[in-house]
Amino acid sequence: MNALRWWWGLVLAFALLVVMRVFLPLPFANEVVIFSIYTIGCNFLLGRVGFISFGQPAYLAVGAYAAGFYFTYFGANPYIGIVIGIVVGFIVALIVGPFFVRLRSDYFALVNLALAVIIYFLMQKVLAPITNGDNGLWYLTNLEPTPVLDLTHPSQFFIFALLVGFATWAFYKYLDDSIYGACCLGAKINEDKLTFLGYDNFRIRLTAFVIANTTTALAGALYAVYLGFVSPEITSPTRAVDPVVVTILGGVGTLYGPIVGAIAYTGMKDVLSQILVNWELMIGFLLVFIMLAGEKGIWGTLEPRLKKLFFRKAASETAGGSKARTA
Amino acid sequence: MSANGDILTVNQLNVAYGEAKVLFDVDVHVRPNEIVACVGRNGAGKTTLLKSIAGFLKPASGAIMTGSTSLVGLTAFVIAGMGIKYVPQDKRVFSDLTVRENLELGSYASGDYDWDKVTTYFPKLKQLMDRKAGFLSGGERQMLMIGRAILGGPKLLLVDEPTEGLAPSIVSHLKDVFVELAKKSALVIVEQNLPLVCAIADRVYALNEGRIMAELIGREAIRPEACEKYL
Repeated sequence: MNALRWWWGLVLAFALLVVMRVFLPLPFANEVVIFSIYTIGCNFLLGRVGFISFGQPAYLAVGAYAAGFYFTYFGANPYIGIVIGIVVGFIVALIVGPFFVRLRSDYFALVNLALAVIIYFLMQKVLAPITNGDNGLWYLTNLEPTPVLDLTHPSQFFIFALLVGFATWAFYKYLDDSIYGACCLGAKINEDKLTFLGYDNFRIRLTAFVIANTTTALAGALYAVYLGFVSPEITSPTRAVDPVVVTILGGVGTLYGPIVGAIAYTGMKDVLSQILVNWELMIGFLLVFIMLAGEKGIWGTLEPRLKKLFFRKAASETAGGSKARTA
Repeated sequence: MSANGDILTVNQLNVAYGEAKVLFDVDVHVRPNEIVACVGRNGAGKTTLLKSIAGFLKPASGAIMTGSTSLVGLTAFVIAGMGIKYVPQDKRVFSDLTVRENLELGSYASGDYDWDKVTTYFPKLKQLMDRKAGFLSGGERQMLMIGRAILGGPKLLLVDEPTEGLAPSIVSHLKDVFVELAKKSALVIVEQNLPLVCAIADRVYALNEGRIMAELIGREAIRPEACEKYL
């Protein structure tokens, strides 16, 4: 029963994503799933640890380029490419993390942005002989079909991405409910208090940083497989705020915020870009509106209302039931 | 324990915030199962003394020893791990976490999940387990903070102004708890409530403008009017 209570929210969320796949175009569904995986790391850093990062595209690019290099120069198996993306993302996060997590939140945001800019120029100019500069790496036709789920086939890739997304969410839900999740929240609320209890804030932050950015690298590797090419545009400084926008749009620190935010953002991008040339302007206005409305984002606003509605209904049913029994 | 039997020895401690010197050649001794009180007016350096012992401030000079181990230069979480727990003054708990989660944080750090000793001292916490700590009263927060600190059986508790702003009934309850706690740990309490500390302390240090003005030992010597004389 407890397990059911633990799982039902996740199962429902991903069931809705499956339903979405039936009614909406496949590219949209794939984009939403990958984008939500991309955002959950940022959401965890901001909502749980209190770190705002404008450099998430850096880690996305690390995952994507690691997979891209493998597909271009070494092999063609999408599964291996994804694993390489994750491992390289983990290593990069582990290398830069000890330096970055010592910084206070505002400097942390900027140093990550600087890393994104560095990687952008590395891929675009410095390493152009092997990255093909702005043209990027193209390997779509090199990818070999895989057994069970053929990742070179977009509809089967969606099932794979959905499973990966579900596993990622289950992992973050576990983190949220664990004592480590409480430690992260403690570090965000008041790091001194956590130190009084005997915790090393540095280790807590570093672990969160590595987990979040390895997840982002995973999203990068998924993009690399799904799109069949990687270009420096993935880490363009102009895209640096995307995950932060989606995090705030969905609801900072909420488990389902990244999914809701990714649906809303991708949806608006698709719909508005057909109507308006400067669709990003509308996103800007929407963000201002959300901030003024209470900073909770879409899911952050909806969740308590849904709970209230659900529990009120459950409570009235219980009351009705007991009345009936009394009668 | 050191040769002189102290659980904590502070020797010739000088602490400064930048250019401003706050503590001048402070000497403090704490023996096992002793309640030591530091009294003094606002700005006397009481909290600075506790924070220096707990590892939050780096002394300019002097020694802080527990047994034969020097605490100077150790980080605060290492000192907490050695069983020297600081309970800060501001009563700010992790407000978004429940009482249970707050206690779990204390347990996980110390490896001690025996919450009975916490609820024995503070039975009220039992009913508040699922309440977010942000919705506790000042007294309940203080109970939670002390409760969290005693998990793991610390050898020394550093308690900063525990009764500030609390109702007399809760102050009286805390007084009894401190006496009980002293049977297992030593306590250093920083307090402005002279009648309270004089009722429970075995040793009192009177601080004024960063200097120890007097060290009072024994029931006879520790009286509010005697402390007042040095402040």
